[in-house]
Amino acid sequence: MTERTIAVNYLARVEGEGALRVRIHDRTVEEVELKIFEPPRFFEAFLRGRSYREAPDITARICGICPVAYQMSSCNAMEQALGISVTGAVRELRRLLYCGEWIESHALHIYLLHAPDFLGYPDAIALAKDHPEAVKQGLALKKVGNALMTLLGGREIHPVNVRIGGFYRCPSREELEAIRPDLVHALELAETTARFVAGLTFPKIEEDYEFVSLRHPDEYPLADGEIVSNRGLRIPPSKYDETFEEIHAPYSNALQSVRKGGGSYLTGPMARYALNRDRLSARARKIAEEVGLEPIVTNPYRSIIVRAVETVFACEEALRIIDAYRPPAAPFVPPPDRLGPATGYGVSEAPRGILYHRYRLDAQGLIQDAKIVAPTSQNQKRIEDDLRSLVTRSLDLDEAALTNMCERAIRNYDPCISCATHFLDLDLVRD
Amino acid sequence: MAAGAGTPSPHGAGPRPLVIGLGSRGRHDDALGLDAVDRLEPRLQGAGEVARCSSEGTELLDLWDGRPRVVVVDAVRSGAVPGTIFRLAVDDLPVPPPFRSSSTHGISIADVVALARSLDRLPRTLVIYGIEGERFEPGIGLSARISPAVDRVVEEILEEIAGDSRDDARSPEARSHA
Repeated sequence: MTERTIAVNYLARVEGEGALRVRIHDRTVEEVELKIFEPPRFFEAFLRGRSYREAPDITARICGICPVAYQMSSCNAMEQALGISVTGAVRELRRLLYCGEWIESHALHIYLLHAPDFLGYPDAIALAKDHPEAVKQGLALKKVGNALMTLLGGREIHPVNVRIGGFYRCPSREELEAIRPDLVHALELAETTARFVAGLTFPKIEEDYEFVSLRHPDEYPLADGEIVSNRGLRIPPSKYDETFEEIHAPYSNALQSVRKGGGSYLTGPMARYALNRDRLSARARKIAEEVGLEPIVTNPYRSIIVRAVETVFACEEALRIIDAYRPPAAPFVPPPDRLGPATGYGVSEAPRGILYHRYRLDAQGLIQDAKIVAPTSQNQKRIEDDLRSLVTRSLDLDEAALTNMCERAIRNYDPCISCATHFLDLDLVRD
Repeated sequence: MAAGAGTPSPHGAGPRPLVIGLGSRGRHDDALGLDAVDRLEPRLQGAGEVARCSSEGTELLDLWDGRPRVVVVDAVRSGAVPGTIFRLAVDDLPVPPPFRSSSTHGISIADVVALARSLDRLPRTLVIYGIEGERFEPGIGLSARISPAVDRVVEEILEEIAGDSRDDARSPEARSHA
């Protein structure tokens, strides 16, 4: 009888840190435990008793990579609770801000975190020595995303210009037009990126996913929409809690999201693309066709191409919004004079998947209860399912190779563990 | 937020020094770099500028573009006594271990320096201050014994910027304990 445990104590190139433990007993994978995400419980507690107005800025601190997502989901939830709706140019500016975050986050993941896996480098630094142009391209693309976030968010990290109902101040046409040439360049870089990543070599693996994403009647989803899946789900954000639940895994204290009465699901670029390919902008759809991206991607390694196609979309969408922009009469929709106790539900598409917020407010607009479910938390069980099938098929590999394979598999999902703890500690037990 | 890169110095000697605070405000001592620049900013009086970075490390490359003199302050977790101050003048040496476990996400300050070096994007003078943090779990506010170390680093940076001619080639050293 042999028992084998794989332990990765530091997972490189995933945001922040986490830990992976795999236990193999008599050639059977008995346990796969991934601790990459610590739900934002502290922030849920910290929000209690605070004004609804504070939620966007407080929750933006949860993640250094996707602060816009936290702002948008909290705004959506609060606006629903207050009974206001954001439309027209203000809503378009929100989409524009979100494009900045997608460009920044996808460029970072594609070039600096994910590409080294495919090209046989331990990290982006080694990659930069042999392929400085590729890394420079990634950084240039990322910089344009940051510039867009700075322009609309007040500053690139933890944008501060967002408020419930819209923005504190809206940009002038000239301010937006000033960034146009950079976005035109970014669009070209994003197309070059799609061609580059489509030429990589991918392990031949197909998984059977339940994909969950937002869907909008005529847009590729960013800041809002209904929640849909490829297995017939179609609900408004207010039905999230009736549809999904967080369960305790028997071997772990961590909570994992599942479909109620079902299993794991996947949110993020592969899900968005599978469910919204018909809503992609023209050049994004064209590049997807040109590089031979299948309509539904079920090989998680090919998510890198989906991210590139989404980056093309984000650049193109940003340009569309800038070109059509007329400053709104007011930068925000004011809250109603009288508040009543209410509950609001908000979902938006963070670069790595749907981010759910729910707030219960009292008649003074103070937060009584908050619930935040981040995309990585939702994907955690799905990542473990992947690892289980991967390790089961690869039991004869040595420790180092198996560890490396597990780390790669995790990086396919661009987990954001910076939203969680900073330090990832693999634990591989074979007995 | 960074002031415009390369803002000319009033003294006419090219862009002013830039001090970048790294960290996250939602994780206790991880915020110490941000707190350091908060404390430093009102005291600079035109002698330098500050920037804050709560994202991942490669952000630094854009922040310090066009800046010949840069100081970075970040939390580190090396196992030293909390409050221990590390100072590193980056030359051609690899960045040593305490800075490899620094708080920035995904890509550490050590990785950023190595990346900047291969892309020829290192500032001419780059000094990194690391302060050993105590608590990194979610929460607001610095640990009691971290705050005095932050004050000390602020004083050192002020001296640094005032043109104190330090030996920029020395290796990192633990300087003082809180």
